[in-house]
Amino acid sequence: MSDQSFYRQAGSYLDSVDVVEVQRGPEPGGVGGAYRAFGETLRGLKTTMSRLIEGPLTIEYPEEKTPVYPRFRGRHKLHRFEDTGLEKCVGCSLCAAACPADCIRVVAAENIPGERVSSGERYAAVYEINLSRCIFCGYCEIACPFDAITMGHDYEMADYDRTNLIFTKEMLLAEPIERTPLKSEGEETKGAL
Amino acid sequence: MSSEKREVTLTIDGREVTAIEGEMLHDAARKGDVEIPVFCYEPKLGAPVGACRMCLVEVEGIPKLQTSCSTPVRDGMVVHTRTDQVKKAQNAVVEFLLVNHPLDCPVCDKGGECPLQDVTQGWGPGKSRVIDEKRHFEKPIELSPLVAIDRERCILCYRCVRFSQEVSEDAQLQLLDRGDRTYVGTFDDRPYVSPFHGNITDLCPVGALTNYTYRFRARPWDIEQAGSVCTLCPSQCNVSFTVRDEKVKRVIVRDNPGVDDGWICDRGRYGFEMFGAAERVTEPRLKGGDKVSYEDAIARAAKGLAARDGKVAALVGDASNEEGFLVGEIVRGALHSPHLDSRPAAGPGIDTILGLARPELQAAVPDIDEADVILVLGTDPMQSSPILDLRIRKAIRRNGARLVVATERPTALDGGAEAIARFAPGQAAHFVGELTAAIGGAENVATPLAESLRDASKVVVVWGERLGPAATAELLNFVDAFDTKNAGTDVDGPKTQDGLEFSAHQHVGLLEVPEVANARGLREAGVLPDAGPGLAALALNGHGTEEIREALIDGSLDGLILVGVDPLRDFADTARWEEALNAASFIVAFSTFTTATAAKADVLFPLETHAEKDGTVTHPDGRLQRVRPAAGRPGDIRPGWQTLSQLSLALGHDTGITSQPTAFAALTAAVPFYASITDKSIGGRGIRWQETESAANLPNSATDAGAASADTQRVSASDEAVPVAGALALGTYRDLWAGPITELNPPLKFLKPSQRLELSPEDAARLSLDSGDTVRVTQGDKSLEATVAIRERVPEGVCFLAEGIAGANANSLLNGHQVSVQIEKLSEVPA
Repeated sequence: MSDQSFYRQAGSYLDSVDVVEVQRGPEPGGVGGAYRAFGETLRGLKTTMSRLIEGPLTIEYPEEKTPVYPRFRGRHKLHRFEDTGLEKCVGCSLCAAACPADCIRVVAAENIPGERVSSGERYAAVYEINLSRCIFCGYCEIACPFDAITMGHDYEMADYDRTNLIFTKEMLLAEPIERTPLKSEGEETKGAL
Repeated sequence: MSSEKREVTLTIDGREVTAIEGEMLHDAARKGDVEIPVFCYEPKLGAPVGACRMCLVEVEGIPKLQTSCSTPVRDGMVVHTRTDQVKKAQNAVVEFLLVNHPLDCPVCDKGGECPLQDVTQGWGPGKSRVIDEKRHFEKPIELSPLVAIDRERCILCYRCVRFSQEVSEDAQLQLLDRGDRTYVGTFDDRPYVSPFHGNITDLCPVGALTNYTYRFRARPWDIEQAGSVCTLCPSQCNVSFTVRDEKVKRVIVRDNPGVDDGWICDRGRYGFEMFGAAERVTEPRLKGGDKVSYEDAIARAAKGLAARDGKVAALVGDASNEEGFLVGEIVRGALHSPHLDSRPAAGPGIDTILGLARPELQAAVPDIDEADVILVLGTDPMQSSPILDLRIRKAIRRNGARLVVATERPTALDGGAEAIARFAPGQAAHFVGELTAAIGGAENVATPLAESLRDASKVVVVWGERLGPAATAELLNFVDAFDTKNAGTDVDGPKTQDGLEFSAHQHVGLLEVPEVANARGLREAGVLPDAGPGLAALALNGHGTEEIREALIDGSLDGLILVGVDPLRDFADTARWEEALNAASFIVAFSTFTTATAAKADVLFPLETHAEKDGTVTHPDGRLQRVRPAAGRPGDIRPGWQTLSQLSLALGHDTGITSQPTAFAALTAAVPFYASITDKSIGGRGIRWQETESAANLPNSATDAGAASADTQRVSASDEAVPVAGALALGTYRDLWAGPITELNPPLKFLKPSQRLELSPEDAARLSLDSGDTVRVTQGDKSLEATVAIRERVPEGVCFLAEGIAGANANSLLNGHQVSVQIEKLSEVPA
């Protein structure tokens, strides 16, 4: 590109840019200066003062817990049919396929008549979620064709040993410990602005 | 061959595609990268049937839609696969198929690798208008003890039925009933019994046919596929192991037209559960079962072998080329002993082996497809190399090949044969001589066979190692009897992938069916008493298998190395072998499983299975293939090459082998006609050394045409049948299912054979025996019990027993010569 055509193009660009006018405030000193030094400071302190009398906003975790939204994605739960008591999971492994963190391991087996575990032909003989890998994306819940796995509300899963974070089928099927309060309708989290 | 076929050009979806005349539109479209959905079409199954209607396409000039699988291409054809009319038809077909297909996908084993799922996603309408109840059948029922059929899921594509009717030709699968109640089944709901029936689970495009052995074991995203080679028989089919958690869960086919044509037998398919059997040797052991470390075991083995001062022999069976080569290094290099063999019985001399190894005489497996006449000589492919049985059937059915059979025992192929000859056990050499004379014009028992062979321009002889050394040597004269004078001219040049180019003159190709899976590789790696690596002549020839046995008994040999062999089960004359193994003062054995032989070993090393092994094997037609490790080795198993090279090092002979690649390099350096073969040229499909430039390095046989004379010393004089009054000549065969394959595989236990005495109706009448009677079969002071099976095609005066059957092994009655047996009735069949 020749120099001339470059400047022509650049010129047309500059033409379209609005002229920036610098707005300047009042000169320091005088009444205005005094107001800015004290008046504005007091206006800011007003918020501070009003919050002072509210008392502390710290949530005393773990004695006190933050309630979660109903669709919060916490620790997984496996479900049984309420009427028959059979496991909903048929061990289809679709959750494992959907899992982006590759933290679910399913080994299926065939139901034996008389010792039926699930309602389908197969059941999950092994169902493990490695919660230290899980990113709580909820894809397993979406992939499940039988609503057998859902995300619960528990987020308290810290442990001293990584192996304890591999949750087995029995742990996931057990009645979950509802340690986390659920927000009631219309409730705002304490301290939310 | 293909050069005769004209190429045509057609347009598919605006793309210009070049195809071969007569090819189906569906295959042509695939070449042009246009995908047409289909269920029923499978080129392996032969002629298309157009049953599923999924592959409809619009051809300009034809008003109605055509099934692309059964429409041959024409020059200038214009085809559309994405017009509204085609889409409407495809949507309708998918919708119809799904009317009765259950929504089982989450529990269906096919889910994730299901053509119906794929086609529905790609070409389906997206939703169904059907609100009615679907058709119901009883959920999975047993089609056989290994295959489950879920008839609800079946879309009636006919693939499995066509396999049964046209490929394995057992004609057991049928479509029963009519309309939407149609289902695949067998007559009277009997189990589907065929040694190839597992292939229907690979063929099924839905989850209707599933393996019980793989039922709910894994999903496609849980697994890895690892391509390897099955070394359970000499067919060396290409397989793919489905591996989950380091364990083999399934074996499926890996199409290789040069080897297996895309099928595998049930032995290869279901034989994997024995890899984890409790009987598996998983760590080095001492006599009595004490487990020791590898280092300790190698030191003990080296000390024991070195102390035998050269009086050591080795027998090799189930081993890769590299392992065979290393055993040769240990025995010849480190122990200075020439005694080494890889054959279960006396075999032909090196001159015969070299004569038969000439590239122009070697038929490749695909040559069977091209043959005019196939001669099956002294082997039953169904028992010894099952996939060749399918290949021969295909040649007859589709390519109009003629078949002649000459064996001791009736074979599974007899039904399709034009001429059949039976020779008495032990008379193979005599018969091959007669056949040679008959081709030359003589009138004798082999004349009907010779008449079929005489006018054929392409003859493929599938012959068995069982013929024995004398008959094998006769084969060279047999080949010379044909008018092959000018046939050799066109095989000097490079061979095509499809095999040998046949000339207008007669061409005879030989294809051996050996006894051991990697027999050819072991021989070429130098596991022979009279030849070193590369079939090179030796300064000092050693003992063969039977001579090693005798030498152990008379004390001239003292130590023994056994690699993947079980003489007490697989070799003739069990009592003599027992004596030999007891006489040996030091035995080092390599064994996959704990066997009676392994129990006699002073040091026992574990052996890998073909799912764990890394190495090369050589197909009987000269194709080098790579066995690749797929699964984890159980226990403390180390690679065979590693143990052997360390043992060699401990004996003071450094082979320089420190890895599989160095082992392979050492092998190719030692075998001149493997010289130009690299791991890369083997690739996934293998390479025939005859087709490489190093084929010219095959040594010339010393006496060439007069090879037969060199062998006579190895032929036992008593191969002549000795008639004994009232006795029957005993022939033996190796049953496909005899051995660890059925004993250690829980799903295959139902196939475990029991000993059957096969004899002719005439002899049965003379001995007043009926099928099902229990008899005692006696030979000298040895006897076994068997059940009588009368077979019409067994010649009079002969009876047959199976080898390798636990508890009643026919090998125990054999003594290396032709034997006769006395039969005594023990009990009658319950009425």
